[in-house]
Amino acid sequence: MTRAPWTLVEADRFDAGRADRALAYWSPDGRFALYNDYRTGQSFLVSDPGPIPDQGPPSWWARGAGPARPFSLADPAPVEGYGVFTFPYGPVSLGVAESGRFDLRTYGERILAVTPIGGFKSRRLRAGLAGLSLADAGLRIERTVGNFAAAHVAAFLAAAESAVGAEVPLEELWVRAFAQELQRIYNHLHVIARIAEAANQNVGSAQAHALAEEMVRFQGRVFGHRWLFGALLPGGPARRLGSEDRRAIPGFLTGHEQAFDRLWSLFLESRTFIDRIQATAPVPRDRAVRLGGVGPTLRASGVAWDDRLRVPHAPYTDLFLTLPQESAGDALARVLVRVQEIRASFSLLEQLLERWPSNGAVGTPDPPIAPGRGLARVEAPSGDLVYDVTVRAGRVDQVGVRTASQANFPLLAEGLRDQVFTDFHFAYESFGLVFAETDG
Amino acid sequence: MSTWLEASVRRGILTTRYPASAATADEVPATGRGPRARPGASGGAALADACPVGAIGPETLDQGRCIRCARCLPRGFDFSGPVEASTTDRAALLEPRAAPPLRTADSEAPLRPFSRSLHVFLVDVGSCNACNLEVLALANPYYDSQRLGIFFTNSPRHADVLLVVGVPTPEMAEPLRRAFEALPGPKAVVAVGACPISGGVFRGNPDLTPSLADLVPVDVFVPGCPPTPLGVLDGILRAAGRARREAVP
Repeated sequence: MTRAPWTLVEADRFDAGRADRALAYWSPDGRFALYNDYRTGQSFLVSDPGPIPDQGPPSWWARGAGPARPFSLADPAPVEGYGVFTFPYGPVSLGVAESGRFDLRTYGERILAVTPIGGFKSRRLRAGLAGLSLADAGLRIERTVGNFAAAHVAAFLAAAESAVGAEVPLEELWVRAFAQELQRIYNHLHVIARIAEAANQNVGSAQAHALAEEMVRFQGRVFGHRWLFGALLPGGPARRLGSEDRRAIPGFLTGHEQAFDRLWSLFLESRTFIDRIQATAPVPRDRAVRLGGVGPTLRASGVAWDDRLRVPHAPYTDLFLTLPQESAGDALARVLVRVQEIRASFSLLEQLLERWPSNGAVGTPDPPIAPGRGLARVEAPSGDLVYDVTVRAGRVDQVGVRTASQANFPLLAEGLRDQVFTDFHFAYESFGLVFAETDG
Repeated sequence: MSTWLEASVRRGILTTRYPASAATADEVPATGRGPRARPGASGGAALADACPVGAIGPETLDQGRCIRCARCLPRGFDFSGPVEASTTDRAALLEPRAAPPLRTADSEAPLRPFSRSLHVFLVDVGSCNACNLEVLALANPYYDSQRLGIFFTNSPRHADVLLVVGVPTPEMAEPLRRAFEALPGPKAVVAVGACPISGGVFRGNPDLTPSLADLVPVDVFVPGCPPTPLGVLDGILRAAGRARREAVP
């Protein structure tokens, strides 16, 4: 039995309102709440927390129950003034490829306040999970967000395995981590490419997009699917990585990392690129913590929190990982964090291949939080991802999720305040948000 | 400036030869092709049960429903279908299991008089973002759709072709209809992926529209979950009557 990666506390012995504590998840049935303490770097699971004190993000958002109708993150103090009007942007022709809407309060040039409106893409995903086998539910879970499929499936399976106490072959955990790190590199490259595109860095953006495409093709070659669908599921197609495959992989990875380093050194020399993203959409540390931000966005605002280190789980406990951190909280800081994370992920992939476990060894799951109920967290490319899965008679009963995009939309609204229109796209892309992840 | 130029020259030309040449193995992973029953594939109810989306019937195989989950592989199927699988006829995706028909490009007339460049507008009606990214990939140097005169626009008013990704949610029905009406004629609609064709993995959810064709007229169907960028390209070219068709026995 492994030690739980959080301390279980009763509500009356837990001071939720203390500074530097942020609500990470609140289960739909209200029985558990998960807090991060950024001062000590610890997680607390609070049982029967009662009403959650009003802090930061909307409580239903932390509550792992996405809306089935368009939601709105209304600004508490709508901005009024001479000539101020609401400019609705989206859901179609938003220019971010996904369907979502932003209501911008403005008098012309400057964005005074933003209300992100989602729910247009709600596929009623979680409602349809009850009664499905883990494998069938997994097919839908990985289609929550195609480009974060590995992280979502890994978190879902870890929670389900913890719920039923199933032991997992160590190699399986290695494959999951391998898939997740590949997808992290892809997503960070994609974000950099999109920002470069918004900044009219045509050569740089084309080259970054080419590197991202090479990652997707590599995923297709290794796992048979460009987005890793099915690759991690029980009974999936999963080409298990044989020793022969593993020998061929380091060559590609080394070449790819060098190509990325060359590209990034060119970006750093481009004053126009750096000027566009420096001081754009800043989110100061205290606001980032209070609004419940996660992932690279939070690390760019000066909080060193990464589930791979703070929520110890195999195989990351056996690997060396440096935690990038920046303090400016602007778009440049978010890009710098992603650049360092790309390098860290290449190193993790190398370490995973070096220490590939021999067959036979098994990993033990985290202890369940209640009979038949498990909780798991993984660091998705966009940040902390929480899955809370109840399993009954081998089938999924209830699933609660708190995704990184849900957590970070309030930070986008914060960062966009007082920015000019032309910066909207750098700002939006630098947060790496996905509407599909908020709607479920 | 010179450094960027040097970087470009150093990388060389990455762009695919497609559609002048056939797709290469590097461009299409295993799941980039549809499933086909091998001779001697098992049949019966057990096989239909193995398929989570009901794509496999006793006699037929519905490529429009298949999400390429690969559960039928141990039962005698393999991914050996064509890369150029898009079609103007939904019924053509419903193949007899025994002998898939040989479709040829000249059996299909050009859909609309799109004789020159093509402007494409993307509408997401409830996707997981994978199809969006595969469509966006067409702009990267590996596919470079502009060399074929295919351009992505930011407004439906400039577009000839509407690409639709995702399973239609009730919230997106009205925005989709308005985008469709904003397209000047002649226009074509391409349904990209299993979701708009059949509901994909979400098929059977009463809140969602299982078929895009119930909302707007669909001209081209591109199967896959998600289709590869070349699959999407094939669908766009088919809307313009410029698709190639590889010979698959």
